[in-house]
Amino acid sequence: MGRGPILTRGHRRNAVVLGSGSGSSYKGPIMAVVSDRVIGSGSGPGSGSVSGTLADRLRLGSLTEDGLSYKERFIVRCYEVGINKTATVETIANLLQEVGCNHAQSVGFSTDGFATTPTMRKLHLIWVTARMHIEIYKYPAWSDVIEIETWCQGEGRIGTRRDWILKDNATGQVIGRATSKWVMMNEDTRRLQKVSDDVRDEYLVYCPREPRLAIPEENSSSLRRIPKLEDPADHSKLGLVPRRADLDMNQHVNNVTYIGWVLESLPQEIIDSHELQTITLDYRRECQHDDIVDSLTSVEPVEDAEAVSKIQGTNGSIAATENNEDLRQFLHLLRVSGDGLEINRGRTEWRKKHAR
Amino acid sequence: MVATAATSAFIPVPSPSAPDPGFKPKKLANLGGMKSKLTSSGGLQVKANAQAPPKINGSSVSLTTPVETVKHEVEMSSSSSSSPPPRTFINTLPDWSMLLAAITTIFLAAEKQWMMLDWKPRRPDMDMLIDPFGLGRIVQDGFVFRQNFSIRSYEIGADRTASIETMMNHLQETALNHVKTAGLLGDGFGSTPEMCKKNLIWVVARMQVVVDRYPTWGDVVQVDTSVGPSGKNGMRRNWLVRDYKTGEILTRASSVWVMMNKKTRKLSKIPEEVRGEIEPYFLDSDPVVEEDSRKLQKLDDNTADYVRTGLAPRWSDLDVNQHVNNVKYIGWILESAPLKILESHELAAMTLEYRRECGRDSVLQSLTAVSSNGVGNLASLADIECQHLLRLEDGAEIVRGRTVWRPKYAENFGTFGQLPAESA
Repeated sequence: MGRGPILTRGHRRNAVVLGSGSGSSYKGPIMAVVSDRVIGSGSGPGSGSVSGTLADRLRLGSLTEDGLSYKERFIVRCYEVGINKTATVETIANLLQEVGCNHAQSVGFSTDGFATTPTMRKLHLIWVTARMHIEIYKYPAWSDVIEIETWCQGEGRIGTRRDWILKDNATGQVIGRATSKWVMMNEDTRRLQKVSDDVRDEYLVYCPREPRLAIPEENSSSLRRIPKLEDPADHSKLGLVPRRADLDMNQHVNNVTYIGWVLESLPQEIIDSHELQTITLDYRRECQHDDIVDSLTSVEPVEDAEAVSKIQGTNGSIAATENNEDLRQFLHLLRVSGDGLEINRGRTEWRKKHAR
Repeated sequence: MVATAATSAFIPVPSPSAPDPGFKPKKLANLGGMKSKLTSSGGLQVKANAQAPPKINGSSVSLTTPVETVKHEVEMSSSSSSSPPPRTFINTLPDWSMLLAAITTIFLAAEKQWMMLDWKPRRPDMDMLIDPFGLGRIVQDGFVFRQNFSIRSYEIGADRTASIETMMNHLQETALNHVKTAGLLGDGFGSTPEMCKKNLIWVVARMQVVVDRYPTWGDVVQVDTSVGPSGKNGMRRNWLVRDYKTGEILTRASSVWVMMNKKTRKLSKIPEEVRGEIEPYFLDSDPVVEEDSRKLQKLDDNTADYVRTGLAPRWSDLDVNQHVNNVKYIGWILESAPLKILESHELAAMTLEYRRECGRDSVLQSLTAVSSNGVGNLASLADIECQHLLRLEDGAEIVRGRTVWRPKYAENFGTFGQLPAESA
């Protein structure tokens, strides 16, 4: 399974930015910043340190006015762009993770990098990703600026969800939407745990009061079950190995790496002719640094002919959807080589590329 | 396809009054007509509201919107008389949000007082107004391109500092943006228009990087880059990476590029027309990194201490030509570095020789030999040096390298002169 947002920045909370070093003439002004002790524990305001680092000031993101969501802008860098001259889906996934981390940090969580509430830390509980669903309607190109808004809310008794909306900063057009489901796990026993009321209360203050879904459609594929694909798969790529850069501090494979692995077993002609529109991943088991992974892909017939015709703007029935050129759909499986233990299941939807 | 930005799209910012220990020109390069184009607006002071619109999102959108948005945000945060954010929700949220807003207002009012007393020309906020998204700009009379990066959470490695790949990615980004901003981007890869006409591309031959300190998540780094000649038919690109807040130099790097015909794959001299395009931008400066001219030895199965096979490019490793991005090689080189070294030491310096490129279907092997200070004693507190080779399974060489590692947290031990001689 994936983990919650990674990285520790414990030292930053106490960093004070003032006249920094002999060479600089800039006196960093002090900015009021939410500290752990102001929020969430009910102690009086102003008792915590009120300092902000320069990066906080320069950060292109902030809580929205009502404090219930967080927005940040990102520029797409040249090395984040792939064979289509547009940002890769891994880049998008990385940015979603980044803005999620920054949101958690801005409301005072995440002093240990895990977006955990104080009670969770006391009980050695962490968030792990259960499902990740990303839809991209228009991929940004190098130097494009995108604005991502994110928020979280409870999801039943066992989990929480985080949603994102991605917009083209210049036009305001929605270029993507994403949603994810997280469950709580004891980091020592690695067993799942129900979200207790005191934990829920700690983070619910930051969540919208009314359910707010990035993808509200009831027939959204973000809700659809992902079946296990049948042996033998149509395509496969065996023997994938985690690289050093794929590992987080605990030597577990980063969530985003799985996306790359899922794509590895897609046939070249799909990559050449189509663009990834939607990816849904169910995280089942964590992958360690010395695991070897097999990536399997099979075509999934697009069952809902009506949905397809809506997308295409055509009437009438569409038989033999497997041969439909414009929209392709696949099921995926990542499993440990050898014993075949399931790591992830996935579904992807692809649309035909158009000349840019 | 990336649009070619006009050179006048960026207003050069006047250099800060403090002496800038940046690229020291040995002598000014041939000043062609191009230079005047760059500095024609050199006398322009940057005003808070006047920002030449960069081409955002691929087209010259009328950029009052993002500029105003940024301006608005800055005004919001610096105006002492701004009212607390209006209450936009009707629910039972407790009033601590009002208290927080009150505290913020008080502190920001105080800040405004301080800023007025102690206003210096070079404020980070000004940079934010000129360049809110970190697109970068030309400085130092047109010869240096400067861009800021904030370190994102997914760019840091297991030890919570930016990985060497992240640092190299930033260098690559500034190089491309430099060429783009100078109006020399013919095809989005650093080929100038004349080069495109002649099917010529730049190919990196050699790279040297020295890291004095790695930044961490949330740090902002400022990268300066410039180009100069390298021999008769090569180009050298230099980088200086500083901590934006303190000005401390974090990383120095230098690379040598040669010209190749992309059809014949043969090396080429620099044609006169291309020389005319690029020489006006050449800054013949002192080297930022002392040249490591020691020959890099070729490893083989017998001389290597560690070998990692079966390295295959993923989709995300490829550029638009489906060749592997240069920076990815570094990750692969480090794949065969022993874990013990990675845990106890950090990469202090690296020299790379690029020999051959590889594509999607290549399968690579990474070889490492520990060549000094560490043989049989990897846990020592001394510096360690390694030799590297990245090759295809049939033996064809992709990259040769040498790395120097220093113990982590070296500063805490109070020792001076930790860096080996060649990185001084």
